[in-house]
Formats: sequence, structure tokens, C-alpha cells
Amino acid sequence: MKKGLIFLMILAVFAVVFTGCKKEEAKVVEKEATTSNLGASLALETEVMNLKAADGQALIKIGGTVRKVPARPADPSALPETDPLHWWDMEFAGEITNKTNIPESPADGAIGKKVIMIVHGDHPWTTACTNGAQKVAGVYGMDLKIQSPNWDLAVQNQMIDQAINENPDMILLIPLDAKTAPQQARKINKAGVPLILFNTLPDAAAMDYAITWTGPDDFGQFRKLARLWADELGGKGGVAYVQHAPGGSPYFARCFGPVSELAQYAPGIKVLDMQAPGFEADKTMQLVSDWLTRFGDDLKGICAADDSAQSLGIFEALKKAGREDVVVIAAGNSKVGMDLVREGKLHAITYQTAEGDGALAVKTAADWFNGKEIEPIRNLPQHMITIDDVEDFYPPQW
Amino acid sequence: MLNKPNSKKSLLVAIDRNRIFILFTIVFLFMALFAPRFFNVFNLTTIMRTSAMNATVAIGFTVILIIGQLDLSIGTIITFTAIIGLGLKEYIGFGGSIPVAIIAGGLIGLINGLLVAKAKINSFIVTLGMMTALQGAIYTFTGGNSVSLSTPDAFAVSDWLALMIFPLVTPRVIITLVLIAASAIFMKRTRIGRNFYMVGGNRQTAWLAGIDTDKYTIAAFIMSGVTAGIGGVLFAMESAAATLNMGNSSLMYVISAAIIGGTAMSGGKGGIFKTFVAILMLDVLYNGIILFGLGNEVKIFIAGIILASVVLYEAYVSYKHEKVIGQRPELMKELEVQNQA
Repeated sequence: MKKGLIFLMILAVFAVVFTGCKKEEAKVVEKEATTSNLGASLALETEVMNLKAADGQALIKIGGTVRKVPARPADPSALPETDPLHWWDMEFAGEITNKTNIPESPADGAIGKKVIMIVHGDHPWTTACTNGAQKVAGVYGMDLKIQSPNWDLAVQNQMIDQAINENPDMILLIPLDAKTAPQQARKINKAGVPLILFNTLPDAAAMDYAITWTGPDDFGQFRKLARLWADELGGKGGVAYVQHAPGGSPYFARCFGPVSELAQYAPGIKVLDMQAPGFEADKTMQLVSDWLTRFGDDLKGICAADDSAQSLGIFEALKKAGREDVVVIAAGNSKVGMDLVREGKLHAITYQTAEGDGALAVKTAADWFNGKEIEPIRNLPQHMITIDDVEDFYPPQW
Repeated sequence: MLNKPNSKKSLLVAIDRNRIFILFTIVFLFMALFAPRFFNVFNLTTIMRTSAMNATVAIGFTVILIIGQLDLSIGTIITFTAIIGLGLKEYIGFGGSIPVAIIAGGLIGLINGLLVAKAKINSFIVTLGMMTALQGAIYTFTGGNSVSLSTPDAFAVSDWLALMIFPLVTPRVIITLVLIAASAIFMKRTRIGRNFYMVGGNRQTAWLAGIDTDKYTIAAFIMSGVTAGIGGVLFAMESAAATLNMGNSSLMYVISAAIIGGTAMSGGKGGIFKTFVAILMLDVLYNGIILFGLGNEVKIFIAGIILASVVLYEAYVSYKHEKVIGQRPELMKELEVQNQA
């Protein structure tokens, strides 16, 4: 009995020591695996940075000069819409954040990580964007799953719930609407899943729950584009705006960006009208035809939120009215838009790499897995495409 | 000899009557067995919560179909009431803004109903016009901007609505289930409820039976407006924001669910509970499709196939029914026997 007890005690001690050793051994193996995965992942950096988009441009472009952020007014909404600072909360969303419950980087490398990307809807732009994302994910050996709610908020919310259910290593999200983004981001954050928002700017509150936001500086791009436009117009004349779909940040950035910029830069330019006809060429043509009837020769310039269908509608209306003097600018850079620039019809478009947008989000996720410091905002570079350099961007991405 | 075909016929009738329950069971079992991560509490709760808005809206819409009318404005009523519910919160609190939003939904329904019942305008035209007018009102009211709560307690209500009281059940799900149960009992178990079926089945007969068909038509549109309003407000409160097109996809969704659930577009037939099960079935299907890693386009395609199959089946049944009207098979058999004798 006594012998048996002693034997059991020795066995127990042996088991404890053995298990402890095993644990230590497992820890060592895990640490080695982590180190090797991180090392291998970091070694892929050069290959990723050398990737090319379909237009021959570098796939990963991180935003050039650091933008100047003015001090936030006490109440931006109290300022007139023509004051650039009125748009502070939208333009500089993410610059002032109160990061909440942001998970720490595991710093164990990007290889093999499971990432779910939820975009806004089906569109040729989105296809190019996800192509770019897949190129980067492919190099890193990430398991990238892409989902599209086809512009339906209820479906996007459901996809977020299902993505949480899959317990991925990261969720990348294009919020369908700026105002609903905080609740979506908060839900993901509460579930403990790391989140990166990208492409469309969400309401500032959403930034608190995300590691970062990546995408184009739409306001900045349109402020630059507006200056080019004003120079071509000679700083005076009546202009009209064909707006983006209401609700999202492009609706404001691509209309009130230039409006507020020109109020300072070229106060001689007057806003005649602004309308959101959607993204159908015939509806835009009808709208512009109405403008031409209503404003006649007073209409000197048109700014479009889209360089494809909207621009086609604009030039169809101008052609029918026999007007070649109207200076048109748009957000780009689709094949249609670039062809119009090439033909000398569109004065300028913004360079907005769709592939680069998706690629930057995945690259940022990889950087986070690799333990790198992530800025609160990662912008794509600003560039205006004109007839002088449009050839550099062929073949188009979409 | 005659018993066999009768029992076969009654079995087919039973299958036809309960087809939505059979469909739901098949889809659910398939997903539970094969879809990755489908059968867990979190995912099933997601399905219940997702179904809640459309299920609420579908209550009134099913009644509209039962009386043989159509309401195309439910999507914009959802958006309109959501914006009112959230937009007025700052001034009168949720205690005031929620009733105002629901009453607004009811008033829109009243206008629809009056135009259909009293001005005798086709409901398709009336509600199409209402949809367009409301869209304009929404853009005017919001200036193209979505509405959100910016107060520190912005997420308090949404957190409460999503609180899991016990597995699968959140306050929002309870609200929806109570509304569905109450409406289903009202429609099937009360005289007033059954009168809606009579009005939809045969308006003239209903009138001859002393039923004020106009009143029932107006009441159905008010119900549709109110339930769309409740659905819109609940969805907005859960999202802590209301977007300008948040109700757009609900119209097709609710129409599909009502038809798949067995509610006839010609009126007089259908049920709220069956529409609810159809919504659950569609949500289970959509959920599973996403879990399989398939895209939204597959989801739309499969939903279209199901809807088309149900519509074709209904058309076939209707054709068969029309074919035997005026015929008396028993009489023909008797005549055959007589002739043989």
C-alpha cells in the first residue's frame, strides 16, 4: 500500500515535471515558429513593394507628402459650407481619435493569416480593388475572403456578423455609409477582431474602434483638382456639380471639397447648381441638358463625381447643345475617363488607383501582423491626370 | 377504389398547404449539416436579428396582398420613419420620436388607403407615386446626409436591442415575435381579421355580405404603414443611424417572402406566420450561401429561382383550378355508368 502510494507520488511528480517540460518545449517550438513566420513574412516586403498594378504603376503607393492638418474649430458645423473648416470632421476624420480596445499586434508574421474583406458593392472599380488586394495577399500567403453586400446596408451588417462568427485574424471593411460605420466598427471591436477601415471615409467615431483607415484623400485630391479647374476657367464663371450618391464621403468631398476650396482660391467662380442624378449616363445627360437650357452661356464648368457614366452623359449633352467651351473635371481614373482626357474633352481627372486601394489595405494588415507601427491614417498619393501624362496610366485598371 | 386517389390528393393538399414549413426544414437541415459554422448560437442569433426588420414590415404587407392590393412604398416608409425616429430624438427623446415616426408611417398608409379606396386609383400607381414623393421628402429633409446619434448614449438603445436574453432571443426578436403572433391571431381568429380575406377573395361578395370594403382597404394600408414604420425605427435604433436608402432592398425581399410563403397576389389567401417562416427560410439560405463563401450574385440567383418556381407553381395550380370550373366529374362518371347500363 505504502509502496503503491510512493510509486503514485513519484509518477505524479514525474508527470508534472514531464508536462512542464513539454509545455516549455511547446513554447520554444511556438516561439521558433513565430520568429520564423515573422522573418519569412518580413522577407516578402520587397516582393510586395515591387508588385505592379494593371496600369503599370506601382501597386503599393503610400501617400507622398504629409498633409497639413489645421486646428479643429470648436464647432465646425456652425461654419458656412463654403468654409473649408466646416468639413473638418469629415476631411480629417481619424486625426483626433480616442482609440478603444484596439488589440495588440501579435507580431508573428502575415503568412497564413485569415482575413475577411467586406466591400461596398459590385462595380468594375470594386473588381479592380479586390484584384489588387489579392495580389498582395497572394505574396504573403494570406487566406483572403472577399464579400460584397451589393450596396445593401442590412446585408453588410449581416456579413459583419458572419465574419465575426468565422473568427478571422482581421476584418477589412469599406463602410457603406459614413454614419452607420461607428456601430459596425464598434461591433467588430467588441468581438475582439482587429479591424482596418478603407476606401470611403467613415464618421470620425468609427476610427476609435479601428487600427487605422487607408484610402484616397478625396478632399485633398478635389481641392487640388479644383485649383486646376479654376486656373483653366480664368478664376471666374458659373459652375455646376454632378454629385456622388448621397450619404457617403465622396458625396461631400467631390462637391463641397471644390466648393469650399474655390470660395478661397477663386471667389469669382459661382455655384449655379448641384445635383445627384446617380450613375447612369442618360440621367446625367438629362440633368446637364436642363442646366444648359436654364443657365445657357453662364455655365462655364462642370465637376463630376464620376469619370465614367456621368462623364459620358455630360459630354453627350454638351455635344447635343454644340457647346465645346465648358470645362469639365471628374474623379477618375476609369478607361472611359482616361479616353475622354486623351481626346482632350475632360480637362483633368484624379488619379485614384482602385487596385492600389485594395492592395494598401491588405499591405497595412500585413504590416500590423508583422508588428510594425501603424499610423492612424494611411493615404494614397495625390495626383491629377491631364492630357500631358494620361498615357502613363494606360492600360486602365477598370 | 376511390379511397386511394383521395388520400393521395389529400396528402398533396397537405404538402401544398405546408410547403413553406417543408422548404424551411429542408434548407435549415441542409445548412446545419453542410454549411461551415452555421449551427452555433451566435450565427443563429444573427439570423433571427437579421429577420426582425423584414418580418415586422412583412406583417402589414401580407395584409395588403390578402386584400388584393400592392404597396410599393414600404421601402421608403422604412427610410422615412427611421430618419424621423432618429432625427427627432435630439429634440423630444426616443419617448416622443418613436411614436411620432410610427404615426407618420400610419398617416402615409392612410393617404395611400384613401387614394386607393375612395379615389379608386390603382394601388400600384398610388404607392409608386408615394414612394417617389417620399424619396424627395427624405433628400429635402436630410440634405443628402444620413442621420446618426451623436450623443454619448448613442449606442445604449442599440446595445439593449441586441442584448441576448437567452440563446437566439434578443429584445428586438421578442418585439418582432410578439407583433407577428398578435397579428397572425388577429387575422385568423377574429371576425374582423377574416373579413380582410373576404375582401381580397371577392370584393363584390364581401360588399354584398355587408362588409365596408373601403374601410378594410384603408385599414390594410394603415397597417402596412405602421409596421413599415416600426421596422424602420427598430433598424435605425439598432444601427444608431439611418441612411437614405436603408429600406430600398426590403420591398423585393418582403414581396418574395410573402409569395413564397403562400400569399396570393390576387388576394384572399395567405398568412402572416407563413410569410415570417418564408423570411426565416430566405435568411437561413442567404446566411448559408455566405458561409459557403459564395457571392451575393449566387444569393440573388438562388432567390430568383425559388421565387420563379413558386410563381410558376401557383400559375399551374390556378390553371388547373380554372380548367375544372363548371365541370362536375362525379356527374360525368354517373352519366358514363348510366350509358353503360
